[in-house]
Amino acid sequence: MNLHKSFILAIVLGLASVVCWELYWRSQGLEPNIDDNNNLSSIQRAKLKNPSDDQVVFIGSSRILFDIQLDLWREQTGTDPVMLAFQGASPLPTLQDIVENTDFSGTMIVGVTEGLFFSTTFDKAPPISRAKERIQHYYDRTYAQRLNHLFSIPLQKNLAFVTVADETWDSDVDLKTLLTRLRKGERAGPLPAPFYQFEDVSLDRNVQMSERTTNDTAYANTIKLAWQDMLSGDMPPPDKKGTTEFFLKYAEKFRERGGQIILVRCPSDGWFKEIEAKGLPRTEYWDSLVLRSKFPAYHYADYQQFHDLNLPEWSHLSKEDADFFTTELIKILKKDGVLTHSKTE
Amino acid sequence: MLFNSLSFVVFLVLVLALYYSKIFGWTGKKRMLLLASYVFYGLWNPPLVILLWISTVVDYTAGKKLAVVVDKRKRKLWLLLSMFVNLGFLAFFKYGDFLLENFTALLNAVGVDYTARPMDIILPMGISFYTFQTMSYTIDMYNRRLEPARTFLDFALYVTFFPQLVAGPIVRAKELLTQFYTEKKATANQFVWGLFLLTIGLFQKVVLADTLLSGTADTVFGSREVLNSLDAWTGTLAFSGQIFFDFAGYSTCAIGIALMLGITLPDNFRYPYAAIGFSDLWRRWHISLSTWLRDYLYIPLGGNRHGITRMYVALMLTMLLGGLWHGAAWTFVVWGALHGIYLVVERLLKGMVKVKINAWNGIVLAFLTYTLVNITWVFFRAREFGTAWNMIKSMFFLNDEGAKVLYEFDITKVLIIITGLFICHWVMRNTSMKEVAQRTNPWVFGVFWAILFFLIVISQGSGEQFIYFQF
Repeated sequence: MNLHKSFILAIVLGLASVVCWELYWRSQGLEPNIDDNNNLSSIQRAKLKNPSDDQVVFIGSSRILFDIQLDLWREQTGTDPVMLAFQGASPLPTLQDIVENTDFSGTMIVGVTEGLFFSTTFDKAPPISRAKERIQHYYDRTYAQRLNHLFSIPLQKNLAFVTVADETWDSDVDLKTLLTRLRKGERAGPLPAPFYQFEDVSLDRNVQMSERTTNDTAYANTIKLAWQDMLSGDMPPPDKKGTTEFFLKYAEKFRERGGQIILVRCPSDGWFKEIEAKGLPRTEYWDSLVLRSKFPAYHYADYQQFHDLNLPEWSHLSKEDADFFTTELIKILKKDGVLTHSKTE
Repeated sequence: MLFNSLSFVVFLVLVLALYYSKIFGWTGKKRMLLLASYVFYGLWNPPLVILLWISTVVDYTAGKKLAVVVDKRKRKLWLLLSMFVNLGFLAFFKYGDFLLENFTALLNAVGVDYTARPMDIILPMGISFYTFQTMSYTIDMYNRRLEPARTFLDFALYVTFFPQLVAGPIVRAKELLTQFYTEKKATANQFVWGLFLLTIGLFQKVVLADTLLSGTADTVFGSREVLNSLDAWTGTLAFSGQIFFDFAGYSTCAIGIALMLGITLPDNFRYPYAAIGFSDLWRRWHISLSTWLRDYLYIPLGGNRHGITRMYVALMLTMLLGGLWHGAAWTFVVWGALHGIYLVVERLLKGMVKVKINAWNGIVLAFLTYTLVNITWVFFRAREFGTAWNMIKSMFFLNDEGAKVLYEFDITKVLIIITGLFICHWVMRNTSMKEVAQRTNPWVFGVFWAILFFLIVISQGSGEQFIYFQF
């Protein structure tokens, strides 16, 4: 057996195949991207181990994650943003974790997406379990997992085909996802609409809408279809009372130790705006929460400059408008004097 | 640390670089390997390394004493100490909650109103493997089948050797400990072959088990509905492939990594799905556990030395405990019981019917064996009896209107892979990977190796844990 010959051939052919694979996906428009996985959010959560006065924590769901641009926030407020908003998740478990398990007593900005915020407090329901999984990972992560994530970063930054996400997008190019795309027929029910990735993520969990989603209407339309597919089935009714009480209980504790909460309602558009207006009307949900909590609150609809923003897939701002939204929101917060630790101009 | 992770790649490169550098003598290399093994284990949960230390110190001391003490009573006490510590660890960490649950259920059954809070004990990775390995040393010392370890370092490395620490093979002292006495260095051919074994082990785990089969098994066994027969069979077949590729993949990686260090580990799997009958299956599946159970449980229970009835009792007990070794749940006990029953029935049939095995009836019998093995996998995989029972009913076509949870593509994919697996095991039944590799043109072999590597890279995987780590 001439193993050396085989080994050399395997190395050359194997590496050449990987290079071709990378080039092929790049030719298809795929770019290297950081994955917003549990390890990345644990790095943010770890910043609250020894909290400082100049930190501002963001909790909520994907809208605040996309619409607040952390580099601008850092630059214009002089504070250190800690991004703990999670896609498809309620902010309630994160609020509870911060109140119960940290000494943080600075400013917390809560993104309110009514469909998720008022959904439930039930542990196993996705809006809660998704947030809890992220939070729990911070406590459970092993040193090996930390090292794996550390070593994966150069690969994520430089190779387009690399995915280390905890959840898959239909646009991923790992073998499992590629094979899933071959599913046809309706034997196990209608196939769900494909849900393609529409974000660019950086290591500090700054999330921006990808250029392709902003510029390619057909691509953005696939995300719209996915939203409609996901939200068109029977949804459990919101638990307004339970979620409001839960929020107030922990928000009050946070206030008592000197913390400050700011509520923010980010923009939505099109079909999303319509179903939100019908199912979770502002007067009944947002206004009621603001009235009961008495926290400073900012609804995009109350500001003229936020009326014509670009939301390519109805729920999140394009990068350009996320920059605008962040800048304008900071101006408003500063004008109202609610950003207590920010640098003065 | 997992073999299928980036941190392991870096770890292995560092270990190999240090091992083959001229910085250390043989003792220094062994110290480095021991330290690396503790790092390998500790990166998961550092405090649990203490359990490894306790096991090591107790069994080394017991072995040393057993080598010199003549008094029978004292010898027994040293053996009991080792068993008490190792089985005590297992009882507390692995079976603590299970024992408490059953104790509570028993009290409730006799009318005592008692509720216990679950202890939520963390299960140390690979505890069943290293405790069985280190106990085998003390038992062999007690039976005077073994010379004591020459040094504490050799023994500690035997208990902790990272390639096989958390999921086997469970290696006997005479097979591994003695290899540490003289300097080991892989030949160039051994090193490259070890690297190939690591590649094929990772291919089995990352591509076949995690990428191609686990999703289907998870969908079927995670379904809350009563399933259609085709879905139930596909899910079970997918799991049969997943568990084989997962576990055999780990063992192959372990053997390959050890070989790269010049250390030889025994085979743990020999194409088990081509087994003709269940005695044959257990000579091919998880060989290091089945031989451990044979030597340290079945034979001490009497084996076949005290008549047929006693032999069957010993066989059943061995398989029941073997089932329980896999996990603290009654479903594992049922899995063991089914294997015990299969073995008993097979022995009874062998006494009554004489069949000369040839290629034609052989493959039919192998297929029958594999089909029966699949029935047992249902209890192994299902976490509750309700799920298992529904699956079995579906597999026996008793749920005509069962739900369809798999797409045509997934069914086709699983059936192709499992057919390939069965044929491959049948073809390889009486040979080995090395023999086949030797007969293959080096260029063809190189292309095959490159394809494995490429598929591992594009599968990527999410660093999923090996199934057997939990045992």
